[in-house]
Amino acid sequence: MLRTEGLTRAFGERTAVENLTLDVGEGEILGLLGPNGAGKTTTVRILSCLLAPTGGRAWVAGHAVGEEAQAIRGAVGILTESPGFYKRLSVERNLRYFAELYGVPSPREAVQRHLERLGLWDRRADAVATLSKGLRQRLALARALVHEPRVLFLDEPTSGLDPESARDVRRFISELAGERRTVLLCTHNLSEAEELCTRIAVLRTRLIALDSPEALKRRMSASRVTVQLANPQAAFATDLGLAAVRGATLEGSSLTVDVADPDRDVPVLVRRLVELGAEVRAVNRNARTLEDVYLDLMGGGNGAA
Amino acid sequence: MGRLRVLVLKEWEELFKIKMVVYGALFLPLLMGGLAGFMVWQGQSLPVEAQAALFNTALMYFLILPVMIPVTLAVYSIVGEKEQGTLEPLLATPLTDWEIFAGKALVAVIPSIGLTWGVFSLFLISAHLMLGGIPAGVLSVPWLMSIFVLSPLLAVFGVLVSMLVSSRTSDPRAAYQFSGLAVVPSLVPLIVYSVQLTAVNLFLVVLEGGILVVLNAALLYLAVKLFRREEILTRWK
Repeated sequence: MLRTEGLTRAFGERTAVENLTLDVGEGEILGLLGPNGAGKTTTVRILSCLLAPTGGRAWVAGHAVGEEAQAIRGAVGILTESPGFYKRLSVERNLRYFAELYGVPSPREAVQRHLERLGLWDRRADAVATLSKGLRQRLALARALVHEPRVLFLDEPTSGLDPESARDVRRFISELAGERRTVLLCTHNLSEAEELCTRIAVLRTRLIALDSPEALKRRMSASRVTVQLANPQAAFATDLGLAAVRGATLEGSSLTVDVADPDRDVPVLVRRLVELGAEVRAVNRNARTLEDVYLDLMGGGNGAA
Repeated sequence: MGRLRVLVLKEWEELFKIKMVVYGALFLPLLMGGLAGFMVWQGQSLPVEAQAALFNTALMYFLILPVMIPVTLAVYSIVGEKEQGTLEPLLATPLTDWEIFAGKALVAVIPSIGLTWGVFSLFLISAHLMLGGIPAGVLSVPWLMSIFVLSPLLAVFGVLVSMLVSSRTSDPRAAYQFSGLAVVPSLVPLIVYSVQLTAVNLFLVVLEGGILVVLNAALLYLAVKLFRREEILTRWK
């Protein structure tokens, strides 16, 4: 449904997106994670045919980016980071305007259907200026959906919303995948990504990692164990001498050890510590959140996916 | 064509809700039309030749209108999108770059020409009633060309200048001020006629028309380049 091959975009000397290769299937919610300036919005803009790539290729809903821009714009719904509306016009008029621009066959019916779905029908005659931020975000979702696109780009959909509004928006997004729509979700909110996304692409100009949230956590968290010692000594961190150990730090009575494969390496590690005279009280695998993984990836840099 | 119509109708609906824009667009035509009518009323007792000269001056008022009326509309049409953050959602629709540009231009050009011609018609009717007829030689070919050819060219000029200026600023006041410079070409014939004390003549009308065609072509070239999606997203302020 959505594919990129070596997608690159440079603005003069600055490269915003470099060599991005993705493949997103129908009904999938792919999270694009990354710090500000990582290239998330630029990627969405390229895929929406608002910006042209300076390298690589991309296809959206079977149409080639750069060659079939009109077809792509008709097949894509976009929720921009700051959802602007014509504030003096009513909720209904705003949505009907976009429905007509997208060539929706029966715009009035489509508008009513989407306003009802998002709980805005009772506010249809109100000027957008009178809506709360949460209601505007719902209207922005209605606008992104009014032409029934197969692909949705959602840029920070819950940014700045109160917890209740954010929960409503998240619930709505999860419904979209059930309708076999493909969603590209740009977010800073890691718990949101974990909750909604089937896969997560961590981006920092280049693609750093791409996997399911569970696999990402497993891949990162399985490599670190903490050993509680009764008689902590610096030598236990420095004299391990095991090939499987990638690093060890002693802090108080806790020895944190990075290993390649905990199932295989922990027994060897404990045996070696005992040989060195350590009294081992407990061994724990670190349970880590997606946030830990993300921060590691951001700090660690440039490993390929 | 359908999308263009949708865009233009929405813009007008929105502009009608802004009192400042509506009053701004209506004030000048009413003022100029009123002044022209007052001038003719004052000259009721003058000889026919003198009345014809008064009409000559009044015509110049109607050449200022098509440039001044669209400035407010064109400026708001662009700056309003920026202020409300609606540019990106608009650019994401299947509208072509040309449709966005043409729609924004028509939003201002059509009312400008319509109001100019409307006020001019009212002026002629009033003058006819006051003087018992229009002085001979007033509704000549140069006169009619001024109203029906120069006015639209001046309106297009005013709109293009306003759109170019508006694309480069997010401050409507600055946009109004700079766009006001667009009135200069409409003042040229006024100055020429005043200094030379000459009546409207075909040569001057054709000359100014030719200059406006060249200027509009140059501005159109710049505006079309400026109204590319990528340009709007990355360069517009």
